[in-house]
Amino acid sequence: MCAEGPAQLHPTLPPVTGAPPMYETFEHTADLGLRARAATLDELFAAMARALTATLVEDAAAIQPRETVRLRLDGDDLGYLLFDWLNELLYRFDAQGWLCADFTVRVASDGLDAEIRGEPVDPNRHRLDHEVKAITYHGLTVARTPDGWLAEVIVDI
Amino acid sequence: MGKQGFDGPIERVTPYSWRIPRRYREGMRVDGIIYADQRLIAGLKADQAPEQVANVAHLPGIQVASLAMPDIHWGYGFPIGGVCATDPDEGGVISPGGVGYDINCGVRLVRSSLTEADVRPHLKQLVNALFEQIPTGVGRSGSYRFERDELRRLMADGVPYLRRRGLVTEHDLEHTEARGRLDGAEPRWVSDRALDRGADQCGTLGSGNHFLEVQVVDEIVDAEAAAVMGLRLGQVCVMIHSGSRGLGYQVCDDALTTLRGVPERYGIQLPDRQLACAPVNSPAGERYIGAMRAAANFAWCNRQLLMWQAREVFADVFGRSWATLDMQLIYDVAHNIAKFEEHVVNGQNKGVWVHRKGATRAFPPGHPEVPAAYQAIGQPVIIPGDMGRASWVLVGQPGSMAHTFGTTCHGAGRALSRTAAVKRAEGRRIDTELEKSGIIARARSWKGLAEEQPDAYKDVDVVVDVVHQAGLSKRVARMRPIGVIKG
Repeated sequence: MCAEGPAQLHPTLPPVTGAPPMYETFEHTADLGLRARAATLDELFAAMARALTATLVEDAAAIQPRETVRLRLDGDDLGYLLFDWLNELLYRFDAQGWLCADFTVRVASDGLDAEIRGEPVDPNRHRLDHEVKAITYHGLTVARTPDGWLAEVIVDI
Repeated sequence: MGKQGFDGPIERVTPYSWRIPRRYREGMRVDGIIYADQRLIAGLKADQAPEQVANVAHLPGIQVASLAMPDIHWGYGFPIGGVCATDPDEGGVISPGGVGYDINCGVRLVRSSLTEADVRPHLKQLVNALFEQIPTGVGRSGSYRFERDELRRLMADGVPYLRRRGLVTEHDLEHTEARGRLDGAEPRWVSDRALDRGADQCGTLGSGNHFLEVQVVDEIVDAEAAAVMGLRLGQVCVMIHSGSRGLGYQVCDDALTTLRGVPERYGIQLPDRQLACAPVNSPAGERYIGAMRAAANFAWCNRQLLMWQAREVFADVFGRSWATLDMQLIYDVAHNIAKFEEHVVNGQNKGVWVHRKGATRAFPPGHPEVPAAYQAIGQPVIIPGDMGRASWVLVGQPGSMAHTFGTTCHGAGRALSRTAAVKRAEGRRIDTELEKSGIIARARSWKGLAEEQPDAYKDVDVVVDVVHQAGLSKRVARMRPIGVIKG
């Protein structure tokens, strides 16, 4: 499945320094679609993580990479792996009050290894935005494109 | 997923219902039936909601039809506004997507002895106090603490559990769907992750479309039913819309993870992964049902605690106890839930699992599950509209039992996507606009109000007109908002 809906560059996001904006939101009636394009799977997964963070918090640039956490997720289905990756980040935010600033992801055929850098939510510095209830499977896409990779996910708001 | 419209067949059945015939797609086990009138049907075809109605018709054991209410809109898996009943004896399935992430999201309505004239002079103070005291928005902890073992008991016992803390009355229980407790809840099947997410969220409003509103009754349509509920013109009420918070979201999420590969094991072909399901009579099905009921009980406790905090704020602002202010619960209904119910299907009594995803139970007068106080008028149905126009109270009618497994609509339904709503609000202050029309609104963020602005929703009066005309439920009273708090 490929997206054909009207895309909109995220209005509140400054481009990440030194890199072109690689993600955007797209319309879904009650919820929100996140879409990213990247040359490699590693970059694609990192870009989708940034898209999720930018949905949770208004000023993603204010999150500082004070702590580093290493993650390993197993799985051989790219769609499910992307789902599990975003879900893991959402859980860390919702249950542990932890926001991620920066991601290094290595996607392999049997899962992914990631290093995430971030800090606990600080209401004085972080303006929280959407309450993302869940990552959904509806229209979940990780696909090859002529110049790299495309991912799409709809999050329940 | 594109947002292209639906170009499949939709045939008019009555002025208020439309059919997507079973022949539309191979694999559909029943027709799709959408309740809508001529005004609504064109808008419905603009996105993929009708396609989702057809997708739900693929579920094993589905009875009669894949149904949709007039507030239907594009969801994920099931449409929002979708209803599906499955018979376990015919291989019927239970589908977490047919309940949604926010298990037992629902609405309650509380009356008071105050009139608009009593409240107007204190309205700003009241709304500010509600906004300060009731946790709203992302990442706000609740005022009530529950240790892990307490949370598990709360999920097993539902609202009656709150008696020990003096946070519920017998009247509250009598006026809550299922008395705020589903039997058969299995907290042991609620994961640690779900407990982590829900630990400090019982008694918090959340974000998105959840709200607490101060409303004024501005129209009485059915004087007899209104009198039974204690509603009269000009009276101030409180409406609360919230659900099971992070705990319920995680229960749904866990179930969908558990269900990976399960439909295939049972030879079930699904057109959308989000429709994942398991036979009711299977280990995975039973496990989800037990956890879902636990989350539903948590949600009723959440709304009970939200109401309790609102009562305390009113008592504080008006200097009288909430009981003196007659802040009694009129009713509390779930609109994201699956329940095992008795229905007549093709002339036969059957026990079926009714999934209501953005749809409300609407049992008629005389139904055994309708509280004693409402036996003569039918079960109250509470329909939140938008923050600028109106909300409604209806009562269930016999037509719901005949046609929709005892179900009616749940709200206005979104007309604009969140991104489109934000775009339309650029350069505007929604709170200032609302204040000019006499409504004080407080929210954590500009964007929150922008996404939930009145124009983002269909006109609730039109939606309610359809379910009224179709005989699913009957109009009783209309309320307009004067104070709003949002996440």
